[in-house]
Amino acid sequence: MSLETTGNDSGEREHLARCVQRIASERSRAAFAEIFEYFAPRLKSYLVRLGSDPNGAEEIVQEVMLNVWRKADQYDQRQASVSTWIFRIARNRRIDSHRRMNKPELDAEDPMLHPAKIEEPDITVNRAQVETVVRKQLETLPDDQLILLKAAFYEGLSHSQIAKKFGLPLGTVKSRIRIAFQRLKGQLERDQH
Amino acid sequence: MLDDNHHQSISLTRGKNKTKVSDDMRITSINDFGEVYSAYAAGCLDPAFALMVETQAVLKPEVSRAIAHAETIAGICLESEEALAVSDQALANTMAMIDAFEARPAAQTSFAKSACAALDELLALPDPLRDNAIDAAGSSGWQNLTSGVRRLKLDIGSQAEVELYRIEPGARVPEHSHKGNEFTLVVSGGFSDGQGSYGPGDLCVKGETDTHQPVGDMDGVCFALAVHEGGLRFTGLMGVVQRLLGQ
Repeated sequence: MSLETTGNDSGEREHLARCVQRIASERSRAAFAEIFEYFAPRLKSYLVRLGSDPNGAEEIVQEVMLNVWRKADQYDQRQASVSTWIFRIARNRRIDSHRRMNKPELDAEDPMLHPAKIEEPDITVNRAQVETVVRKQLETLPDDQLILLKAAFYEGLSHSQIAKKFGLPLGTVKSRIRIAFQRLKGQLERDQH
Repeated sequence: MLDDNHHQSISLTRGKNKTKVSDDMRITSINDFGEVYSAYAAGCLDPAFALMVETQAVLKPEVSRAIAHAETIAGICLESEEALAVSDQALANTMAMIDAFEARPAAQTSFAKSACAALDELLALPDPLRDNAIDAAGSSGWQNLTSGVRRLKLDIGSQAEVELYRIEPGARVPEHSHKGNEFTLVVSGGFSDGQGSYGPGDLCVKGETDTHQPVGDMDGVCFALAVHEGGLRFTGLMGVVQRLLGQ
């Protein structure tokens, strides 16, 4: 398994970032269509793999993309890649839907009630720097660590679920994820096991 | 910190052996959890704990940094996700949703909401907590526990009980034990109990058999966010991350 994606180079990321900026500045539907074309099928695939049925997944994708339109002016290229930003929007949409399930009397999504939340500039964490380091480290990560990292951070499996899925002892899962996560944070492993 | 998670003894909240309390009984940072970040990044954390993580991230730069890394990993994974074709009309549908959104009447600010938030203290709470606390103060309202200790129940759609405590300097929270585990995050100010002192961003974890009597530190009002499992039993500390959403 690899995270190599043909053509997904920094040039393409730059282009996606500019599309979001054009949505914000010109309300450009053409730029929005490009973002949609790139992310909608990926988001759908992700949601289906997490257990949504295809129709339900498509509805969520459309709502996420509407939020991309609504929040485009909050996107800051210096803070995150478009992928990370959109993943967070999708993630928050899932959390909101869970909250709504438990509070059916409230329409938590009503934009009147909740004007788009401003993402406050993170003065302590330089997310752009984080992206650079994580991307660089991901390329060199051994597959056995990469698979587990993806299962935990992207697919949201708990360590014991991962142990079961891959037939590994829980301790092995924990230590591999820990070592991989530290590498991604640009830290050298000090205490090898 | 983070690298402590390999010996994050979940047993620490099952404090049957009361003599061994002290260090083992206390987690001062969500960093000790490790697994919590991945669950949060992927949107799988129970809303009560998601709120706790978001609040702690405001207070502790290392938590904020860990979340940034976790979310970046997920975002990069999304790029390499295979494409699953959406239906032909999906883009048109979304454009129609955008039309509807753009045609909405200009958003009105809810002045009523901000009016009942007369307390500057609530407005000073970290962003993730502020709205929830203001909502709750306007609806369920504060409850007086003892002199100098008040409690506000937050409704955030979790099955766990979520409460904000306001403890005045020197005020004593009644001694209590818990049904299930109790997680308390200091939001501002601080408190001490027999086992330690906790400042902003510190997390105090107590198991079912522990009793404690927190006392507000003298240097100002303490706000603390408490999550109780209540009737909902998480199987161990990590049970909280195992409730996958949407599945």
